[in-house]
Order: sequence, then structure tokens, then C-alpha cells
Amino acid sequence: MLALRGLGKDYGTRRAVDAIDLDVARGEIVGLLGPNGAGKTTTISMVCGVVTPTRGSVTIGGIPLADKPYEAKAKLGLVPQDLAVYEELSATQNLDYFGSLYGLTGKRRAERIAYVLDVVGLTERAKEPVKKFSGGMKRRLNIAAGLVHEPELLVLDEPTVGVDPQSRNHIFEVVRALHKAGTTVVYTSHYMEEVEALCDRVAIMDAGKIVALGTIAELIAKHAGKGIELKISGDVDAAARAAAAHASVERDADVLRVVPTASLAPVIAAIEAAGASIATVHSRQGNLETAFLQLTGHGLRDRAEAAS
Amino acid sequence: MIGPTIRKDIWLLLRDRGRLLMLFVMPLAFIVVFGSIFKFGPDRGKPRPIAIWHAPGDARGEAIAKAIADTPGFAPDPKDSADAVRRAVAAEDVRAGIVVPADFDPVQGRPIELVIDLGEQVQVRGPLQGALTGAVMRALSPLPTGKLPPLVEAKSPPGLAKPLENVSAFQVTVPGNGVLFGFFIAMTVAMTFASERHSGTWRRLLAAPVPRWRALIGKLVPYYLIGVIQLAVLFGFGGLFGMQVAGSFAALVLLSLALVACSIGFGLLVSSFGWTEKQLGSTVPVMMLVMGLIGGCMFPRLLMPPFMQKVGLMVPHSWALDGYYAVLVRQGTSVADIAPQLGALTAFALGFALLGLWRFKFE
Repeated sequence: MLALRGLGKDYGTRRAVDAIDLDVARGEIVGLLGPNGAGKTTTISMVCGVVTPTRGSVTIGGIPLADKPYEAKAKLGLVPQDLAVYEELSATQNLDYFGSLYGLTGKRRAERIAYVLDVVGLTERAKEPVKKFSGGMKRRLNIAAGLVHEPELLVLDEPTVGVDPQSRNHIFEVVRALHKAGTTVVYTSHYMEEVEALCDRVAIMDAGKIVALGTIAELIAKHAGKGIELKISGDVDAAARAAAAHASVERDADVLRVVPTASLAPVIAAIEAAGASIATVHSRQGNLETAFLQLTGHGLRDRAEAAS
Repeated sequence: MIGPTIRKDIWLLLRDRGRLLMLFVMPLAFIVVFGSIFKFGPDRGKPRPIAIWHAPGDARGEAIAKAIADTPGFAPDPKDSADAVRRAVAAEDVRAGIVVPADFDPVQGRPIELVIDLGEQVQVRGPLQGALTGAVMRALSPLPTGKLPPLVEAKSPPGLAKPLENVSAFQVTVPGNGVLFGFFIAMTVAMTFASERHSGTWRRLLAAPVPRWRALIGKLVPYYLIGVIQLAVLFGFGGLFGMQVAGSFAALVLLSLALVACSIGFGLLVSSFGWTEKQLGSTVPVMMLVMGLIGGCMFPRLLMPPFMQKVGLMVPHSWALDGYYAVLVRQGTSVADIAPQLGALTAFALGFALLGLWRFKFE
């Protein structure tokens, strides 16, 4: 359904996205996971034809975006990270406009508007100005606007930013329902639990590159099997610095979560040489976060918080 | 606590270019323009030439020429014939002229001819006419007592369209404010682009299967229509208060269409700067007011010294006002008569739009 070949974007001398290769099969949900600044939104923007790539190509449903942009774009629905709706208009008016952009007319447009309003649970408030909606309702309308023309490929760019848990669950239900109906979904997020809950496969992005791609089970098995938690006594900072020479390290108070590059022995030796001691050692069950740590050398939240 | 707050607010103020523009550039622009308007006067500028003809050796004519020379701000500009005086006024080489007929005799109905464009705005023509009439009366004094017919008769030179009689103030204030506020649609255009970019709806539009040029036109057309309706309402309102159209109605319509195109083009150009709504809100009104000021929307451009009049031609407002004034006040003004103004406005519109398109960043 979606094929990216050597796709990249430079802004001046800064390389935002390197040269990405990615295939998404029809009906699949693929997550793009990475911290803020990893290049997810730029990648999405190139996929949607909003940003012109510096290199590489995008093919949507077998149609090259560069050669036949309007045919390719007609197959795609975008749910931007921002609340890309007109607050002064009603939900129906918004959907009417966005549907028209994709050539929907008359009865068909009215049916689709009614359908997507029902899907996102906004039928009762359809005639009200969007500015009266709660944040979660606006998010749901944002999704509806990307769905109104019944796209084969739906791209959701961080669709749950700033929403309450209830609305987040509602959004998850919508995505799952779309998946069940056969829609292909590309879902970007910097929340591990979201991609774990929703996605068939995950592409981990960091510094403009896809550093790993596979099912969650594959990624954990391949990259998260060696996670260890060390409870440190003494100078935790010095221990963390010493351990970083031999492992990926994430600190949580006096606990260091390490993924050794080779084996655990040099990590322990380095910590002890730094004057700290190890109180307890726990082998961790691997998860996506451990895999991310192993692949990128830093925690997802570290980067996200640094960037925000 | 006070110190850091002062420091922080100074930082914020220094980063707010729009506010600085409003605080410093706008008053300076007003000072320069209004100051230069009153520059015309004794010892403060070049005296304004007044064309004059009188029969050779006519003592009364020589006395009038001397009275003009003695009037602060005026200098007599002798011509070879009465027609030469009229031609000089018609060609706008001089603002006014005096023709003293050899057989000048007001009692017999042969007054002195004050050659001046009667279609000129009253604010421009009135003081000049009054000052020259006063100079003539001083030159001819002492005048006989009793009721005298007018000594001076003001006439437009041949070749200039006859103005409407009893021109109301609305002939001037409606186009002045129409041009000034008509141009504010540029700000609305720029604001809507900034708002769409900020909210993300622009991204959604770019992701849709719609050519970018269509997206752009689709955005601009409604504002063009609103601009046209705005001018129609303003001129219609003026009509209720006695504003008349002395020339061709088609010329009025074409001028208005060109003016709105110019405003929309300027809006596109400002949009291409990529400013935020806050930046636009604090900067564009200043630009609009300064352009309106030097373009003559608030003060007749002809009252400004020659240099400022030339500066005024650099903004579309002055061309639009000149065109409107001709159409509203001068009888028989046709589309061909305002071709220079239409051409200039079209050139401004194209220039703004092309520059805006060249700089416009879709992504």
C-alpha cells in the first residue's frame, strides 16, 4: 500500500530525514516510533505530499506520488498533529469542506459526513461550532476530517497529544475499527504503549533514520533481551558515567537500567572502579522501551523531553 | 523581583518588531509627512510660481505682479500671452495663473481671470484662490467705495474637464476612506494564511488532491469579492449622502476592481513574509496607515511639497485617489481618461502578486 525508497529531506545543511526505506502492506497498522525531532513528522509530511523530498520516492497504492500526485493523494487521509480544523465552523461544515477537497459531492458527501461523525462519536454535537468542543472532541473531529473521503491509507501524526485517557481510548477504538475494516494505517507516536497497543509492526526512528523495523515481538526478541536493572549504592552519577562506556544506560533515581554492548562483566567492573557498589541486580523482561534503549543509546522520554 | 521583570519586558519589547514599528516608525512617518505639508511658507521652501500675463506697460498688471512677488510663498512667472498662462495651468506646470486683460474693467464685466483648476479639491484650491485674490485687491487698492462686481473671476483652463457644481465633502471623504480601509483587506488575507498555517489546516489542504495554485486562488477569491462588496457598500453609502459620479460609472467600477486586486496582491505579498498573526497584527496596520498617509488618504497630496507628492506616487493609494477624484468630480471622465491610474494600479497588483508568489512558501 505504501512504499518509501531512499526517502530523505534536508533543510539547508541539516539532514532531517536520511534515506528511509519502508513498505506497508494493505490493511496493516505500522507505527513510527521515535522521540520528538526523530524525523517522524517530516517523513509523514513527505508521504502526504506536504513537503517535497530532497531525495527518494513515495508510492501510494502503486501510484508514484511525484508523478501522479493527485491520484496518489486521493488514496490518502492525513490526521495532522495540530488540531487542523476550523474552530468557528461546526463539525459538519468542517467535514463538508474537507470532503469537498476530495471530490465528494451531494448525497455521498452527506452520507460520509454522517458516518464519520458516528464513528468518532460526535453526531450529537455536529451542528455546534468546534470552538465549544473539549480538547478530546476536537481531536476526534481531527480524525474524522482525515477519514471523511474513505481513504485507503490513513496517516495519523501523534493523534493523542494532549488528550484525556477517555478520549485516547476512544481514538484507539476508532483506529482498531478502521484496521478491522481493512484500512491501512501509519501511526506516529512517541508513546511506547500506544504503538504496543495498536501496531502490527513498528519502525523505530532516531535522528532521521529507521534504526529497526519489525513486529513488536521481533524487536523485543532481537533488541531487548539483555536488559538489566542495577541498584547502585554510593555515587550514582559516577556509576552511570562509568557504565555508559560499556552499555546503553538509563537512570531512574538510584537504579540504572543498562543494556550492555557486549557483556555485563565490564559494566560491573566500571561501576565498581568508579567507587560505587551494586546493591541488587535484576534481569528485566524485555519490552519495546528496552529495545529502543538498546537501539538508540537513550531513552525515548529523554529525547522527547529534551526536544520539548 | 522588579529588576528581572523590567529586564524580561525589555527583552520582549526589543523582540517585538511590530510594536517598535508602531512606537517609533509610525510617529516619525506622520511627523515627516505632516511637517512637510506645512513646509510651504516664507523662507522655508521654494516659492510657488504663479503664471501671469498682462499687456506690456499695463501699470495695473505690473502692480499685481509685484503684489504676487511680495506675497510670501509666491513668485510671479511671466508668460507671453493669456493662452500661455492657461496652457501652463492645464499642463500642471503651475498651480494657478493670473490674466489681466488689457481692457480690464470689472464694472463693464471684464474682470481679471484667475486661471485655476476648479475641479481641484477645495482644500487645495481654496487657500490659493484666496491668497491670489487678496494679492490682486492689494495691488489695486484703494478700491472705489460702493458695491463693485467681482474683480477676479476664477476659471478652469480649456482642456480640463468641468467639475461638478456644489461638490459635497463626500466626493472626497468616501474615496479617501474607501482606499484607506479598502486596503485593510490585505491584512485579512495575510491573517488567514497565518491562521491556516498555525492551525495545521494548510497542511491538510496541501495533503488533499488539489493543485497548489487552485488552493491559492480558492483562498484569495473570497477576499477579492469581499473587497469589492466593501467598496460597493462604501460608495453606495456615499451616494445616500449626496456623493455623485461625475464621470463614467464603468470607470468607477474598473478602478475599484483594480484597487481590490492591488489590496489582495499586497496581502499575498505580506503573507509570503511568513509572519505570525501577532506579528501581522502589530505591523501591517502601521504599514497601511503610513501608505494611506503618504498616498493622500488623510491629507490631500497636492497640499504636500513636490518631493512628497512624488513619494506618494510610490504607493497605489495615490493613483487610486487620483482616479476616483477624476471619476467622481470631473464631468465626462471616461475609462480612457483614467487609463494611467488603472495602468498603475494593475502594475502594482501584478507586482505585489508576482513578488508574493515568488516568495510564498507552500511548505
